[in-house]
Amino acid sequence: MQDRAPEGDVALRPVRTGVAPADRLTGWIAVAVVLLAWEGMCRLLEVSSLYLPRPTQIAVALYELFVHKQALTDLAVTLYRIFGGFAIGLVFGVALGLAMSVSRRLQSIADVFIAALYPLPKITLIPLLIIWLGTGGPFMLTISALGALFPVIINTLLGVRQCDQGLVMTARDLGASERQIVRHVLLPAAIPSVFAGARLGLGVSIILVVAAEMVVGKLGLGARLYLAGQVLETETVFAVLVVLAALGIVVTKGLDALDALAGKWRT
Amino acid sequence: MNAAQAGTQAARLDDGGRPDAVHPEIRLEGISLVYEADGSTVLALDDLYCRFAAGKVTAIIGPSGCGKSTMLQITRGFMQASRGTLSFIGADGAPMPRPPRMATVWQSFNLFPWRTVEDNVAFGLEMAGMPAAERRARAKEALRLVDLAGFERKYPGQLSGGMRQRVGMARALVMDPDVLLLDEPFGALDAQTRLVLQEQLAAMVERTGKTVLLITHSIEEAVLLADTVYVLTARPGRVAAEVRIDLPKPRSVASTHDPRYAGYFEQIYGLLKSEVLRSMHGEAGTG
Repeated sequence: MQDRAPEGDVALRPVRTGVAPADRLTGWIAVAVVLLAWEGMCRLLEVSSLYLPRPTQIAVALYELFVHKQALTDLAVTLYRIFGGFAIGLVFGVALGLAMSVSRRLQSIADVFIAALYPLPKITLIPLLIIWLGTGGPFMLTISALGALFPVIINTLLGVRQCDQGLVMTARDLGASERQIVRHVLLPAAIPSVFAGARLGLGVSIILVVAAEMVVGKLGLGARLYLAGQVLETETVFAVLVVLAALGIVVTKGLDALDALAGKWRT
Repeated sequence: MNAAQAGTQAARLDDGGRPDAVHPEIRLEGISLVYEADGSTVLALDDLYCRFAAGKVTAIIGPSGCGKSTMLQITRGFMQASRGTLSFIGADGAPMPRPPRMATVWQSFNLFPWRTVEDNVAFGLEMAGMPAAERRARAKEALRLVDLAGFERKYPGQLSGGMRQRVGMARALVMDPDVLLLDEPFGALDAQTRLVLQEQLAAMVERTGKTVLLITHSIEEAVLLADTVYVLTARPGRVAAEVRIDLPKPRSVASTHDPRYAGYFEQIYGLLKSEVLRSMHGEAGTG
């Protein structure tokens, strides 16, 4: 058991790719069937496009949106708000999580605030943040950062706590300073957990930015969605939802790729 | 060790290393350790007197939970004894002003799973600020000495247990320590791997002439590797006996055929048996 041949060992391990190609095809076929049925039912029952536009109408609206209505700008603005805020939340979250994990005093202070703020739906902070920051860029970045901050802090703490104490002792034995231990042992040990936190956090950031745009935005996908709803442009509402769904897929897959890159050693 | 120092010392791992290398004698005098657990105080080590001779291998053997590893922690300076003194005696016979350079090989290997084999071995050098090219060359050389050339870019998870522990040995030896601490280094390995590594370690330790402290629960290992074996009692750990092993060097598996080997084995086993039985009764009494 201990002295396994290394090559065999590696070859036997399952490869970490998500869904097999055949299963993926099945998934796409299912999507196509649903779209066809949707289109057929709408035509057959003559459903008003005000309530439920046909997939083809949505496709046209999507085309219009990007070609004639500068939706690309909205997409860019929304992405900037999501990722700008998320990046701030991630950096602060990891830094705070690491600091808390090495300082008992800081942890006992921060614990109280986290216990109070973590379960609070961040969306309820929108009115307060508008009073403080207005409705411009700082507000959007703050709400987005807040979304990512707490899951990242909590998962960083968790990751550090799960770090093998033997590794910390080994680093000390090999002459590492406390600072070096944080940088070269605790942080890398926490990375998988930080990723899990980042994944959760990014999801919250997306929700918050789109919600905030719906409330106050003049630009951005959320604003676009809300305005389309106001004037009963149902195809456009659907088109924006399609864009948001696609964004979700891209983000998730991107994080998967990053995670795999950072976790090469888990082979 | 700073980078410049490290750079000028063309430290070879197998020939005793730096010109200024001191292989000190280590003295534990009246060491006791008391700790609190669940509101009651536990005496882990009781008035321990040990002498780890300069440039020799000293083994500590004793029943589980007798405080062997605690003793190593105290020697390493990671743990403070409640009473007693720990001193390092230099070549001039006087206590050294600062503790010597020490490195540990661990039972659970403790390799950093996210670092390649090479980066694991170079960890200590990297922390000391040695330039990348140089520490890479050192790590490569150290890996060659433990027969792991060609595995530099692998991750620990891709290696067998025996290979992992050879990485652990290379990582400690690349630091060129004055004192090598071995904390049940082969305890997690299967019997054959253990034999081979013990033999390799015996040869390596002999060449370097370092002061070595070996914590083990294997009598064979203690007799095969050590010049002196301290047998500890069940908790609280106390020295039950000091056994000098007078077998010719270099030792190998063939040494086990020496008639004296059986004698040492019997002697240590006899001492240990009563302690193990005592600790079992103790457990039965409290549990």
